Amino acid sequence: MSRRQALTRYIGSRLLLAPVMLWLIATLVFLLLRVAPGDPVDALLGNRASALAREQLRAQLGLDQPLLAQYGQFLADLLQGDLGSSLRNSQSVREIVGAALPASVELGVTALLIALLLGLAVGFSGVARPEGRLDLAGRLYGIGTYALPVFWAAMVMQLVFAVALGWFPVGGRYPPTLVPPQGSGFYLLDGLLAGDWAVIQATLQHLALPALTLGLLLSGIFERALRLNLRRALRSDYVEAARSRGISETRVVLRHALPNALLPVLTIAGITVASLIGGALLIELIFSWPGIAYRLQEAIGQRDYPLVQGIVVVIAALVVLVNLVVDVVVALLDPRLKF
Amino acid sequence: MQGSSRWQRRWLAPGLLLVALVLLGGCRASRRRLDGPLVVAAYGSIQTVDPAQATTVIALQLLSALGDPLYAIAADGQIEPRLASGPPQLSADGLRAVIPLRRGVRFHDGTPFDAEAMAFSLRRFLAIGKLSYVVGNRIKAVRVLDSHRLELQLRQPFSPLEALLSFASLTPVSPTAYQQHAKGFRPAGFVGTGPYKLSFHSPQLQRLEPFADYWGQAPRNSGIALVGMSTSTSLYGAIRGGSVDVLLSTSLEPEQQSALHRRANAGKLREGAGPALEIGYLTLLSDRPPLDRLALRRALAYSLDRERLTQRVSDGLRPPLRGLVPPGIPGALAAWPKADLQRSRQLLSAEGYCNGSVLELQLTYRSNVPTDRLLALSWQELLRSRLGDCLRLELQGMESTTAYRQLGDGAFQMILLDWMGDYPDADNYLTPLLECRRGAGNRCSEGDSVASGSFWTAPGLQQTLLQSNAVSGAQRLALLDGVQRQAANGTPYLPLWLVRPRAWALNSITAPQFDGSGRLIFGALQRREQP
Repeated sequence: MSRRQALTRYIGSRLLLAPVMLWLIATLVFLLLRVAPGDPVDALLGNRASALAREQLRAQLGLDQPLLAQYGQFLADLLQGDLGSSLRNSQSVREIVGAALPASVELGVTALLIALLLGLAVGFSGVARPEGRLDLAGRLYGIGTYALPVFWAAMVMQLVFAVALGWFPVGGRYPPTLVPPQGSGFYLLDGLLAGDWAVIQATLQHLALPALTLGLLLSGIFERALRLNLRRALRSDYVEAARSRGISETRVVLRHALPNALLPVLTIAGITVASLIGGALLIELIFSWPGIAYRLQEAIGQRDYPLVQGIVVVIAALVVLVNLVVDVVVALLDPRLKF
Repeated sequence: MQGSSRWQRRWLAPGLLLVALVLLGGCRASRRRLDGPLVVAAYGSIQTVDPAQATTVIALQLLSALGDPLYAIAADGQIEPRLASGPPQLSADGLRAVIPLRRGVRFHDGTPFDAEAMAFSLRRFLAIGKLSYVVGNRIKAVRVLDSHRLELQLRQPFSPLEALLSFASLTPVSPTAYQQHAKGFRPAGFVGTGPYKLSFHSPQLQRLEPFADYWGQAPRNSGIALVGMSTSTSLYGAIRGGSVDVLLSTSLEPEQQSALHRRANAGKLREGAGPALEIGYLTLLSDRPPLDRLALRRALAYSLDRERLTQRVSDGLRPPLRGLVPPGIPGALAAWPKADLQRSRQLLSAEGYCNGSVLELQLTYRSNVPTDRLLALSWQELLRSRLGDCLRLELQGMESTTAYRQLGDGAFQMILLDWMGDYPDADNYLTPLLECRRGAGNRCSEGDSVASGSFWTAPGLQQTLLQSNAVSGAQRLALLDGVQRQAANGTPYLPLWLVRPRAWALNSITAPQFDGSGRLIFGALQRREQP
């Protein structure tokens, strides 16, 4: 079987497995939510209503149905692409996800770009003189940013740059005194497409601090991955062979070692993207960023079953898709991989 | 030269990053237009603005600015007609109330407010309202008498009807705008009669603009942007950094509330406080050992040093409470005893403790409510140091939703809870804790007393409670007095503290004011003249 056929077969099998995986995840979430103590009625009414009022509301929300009936309905709706409606405000889950997901993607992509830029720059900076001062500083940077607790780092950034210096807003996605752009949901993209500098500036102001914080924290992973792989590549036979042919060190690094060292970085970037689709929960919470993770956290607290189920299914589907795309890209770039 | 070049290389990237940060930050967030809307920040998001669907404190706060109730409670506690033009006229049997309505009122969509509109809104709320039980137990039916007179048919005589009708969820909505939503919800838009109309809504941001045709006093500002933030630290940072104009205290951590209070005292912020309508209390499981013994419940009551605990936990911002009804509400009585550790020790000794035997009790607190945890820890420590040979508390934290689920199952020996009446009347504090439809002796088997986790009642208590709602004036106050004394003697609950809603504003804004229902009056907020 040719490599191309093997790859096609691999993609096919992954695509066939995806629905099974999604069904398993959806079922697991459905069951876990029901096993957790407390239901939406407890979250809505707290300790304030009588048992009768609770039962009435439970019936109104369809929670008095047998578990199997609820599960059957959930699966039937899911097969038709209907994720249901929020128990909190009756809004369709698809609409809620549609409104929150662009915020998370915008934050995630910006943070990823910052992380790649910083991480690769720092990782690459130590190449010229391994074990030198720059290399040591890079290693410390990598370990430090990787080890920093997210909530702590985010709060410090918020306190320093937003509260003390007042350079950035404390939270939110757009100035509260302005009406956000009504377009694709990606404010930066909407601003760029419309050529509206005010929108771009307002969006960047709010995006900068959470994206920088997240990017900084993620950059350590890329720094470490690039540094280790680049050093390994620079000690490999093919690099020695290139050097022995008299090729300049710059060319050896940039044309021979770096492309090979970047392959694992690409895989890591893929995994990071997948995790960012689910949102960087603590970042979204601390910066009041109205993304998907923030909504998921709220929905769990409110026991909003359809919303939690819907968000998890959408995130799972996207993670499966992104992983597949990354695997295919890596496979196309690296002929050594077998399936 | 070479050194200089190396230096340049080393610092070029960080330097560029710093410059970028400075440039980006140069467009400072707090640079807002002085004639623009005021930014009010609060905790959490508002997922629905439908009065039939909204249940959270912040959503009801928003509704109070967008709509008008039939009656409102003024800051001095007096009930005043708003969309009603006078007090309800009650029939001789007290089962029918005719409410005259104000003329010349318009909804935000321009349609007139009349009896049909009010009836539509009340019927809609009774049919689909998530908090419909608050009024559904009282109001049986709604009838339109003429264009501006409405008749409410009551299930039983209910003297605090005006207070009930001040409930923010009963604000009328335009029948024209809600025609398609008579049996369903409209979470993202609101068309009412209030001083502001909603011009933009997302869960984290609501934009309010003054309603030009408002019948009453026009707002003193050009609009409000209500922002929801997800952490107490963000809220605190936002007011400290000046990126919001006003901050509401809901869910703000106690230390941060204290810090803002101190800043206000130092003249760095302006503080406003509303009436104390929220109570914190302990529920004691009174139908099972060991707390089925009255003497032990009394011993606990005497062991509770409210002054010291509230000082320690809230820095004095939460006044101690010795009754189930907040003191500002007519009929409130401080019937629970003050702390008396000697008396507590005597009672415990008489029950066989303190002489080598320690009474161990489990105290559950809501782990997601910071003040609860602090109070539990402080009380545990206070008892350990003063009554350690008699009484010991074992603490258990539990997420609030999980705890509420198990209250009616009698799962907690002692649990720390809070309560804020939907409308400020004694009935709305006593009934949810003491109502008992079926019971024998001191044990309640059906009613709100069970749902609240105490399972306690007393012979004749339910009758007195019902009677108190059928009469008014001094007669009612006497009955309420009796109910509270009975409850204090039985000690199924230990009132603990009062919570006052607070708000802080920048010095460039007028001091925040609250109405008698504990809602911040958005319309009274105004930028002050700059010197």
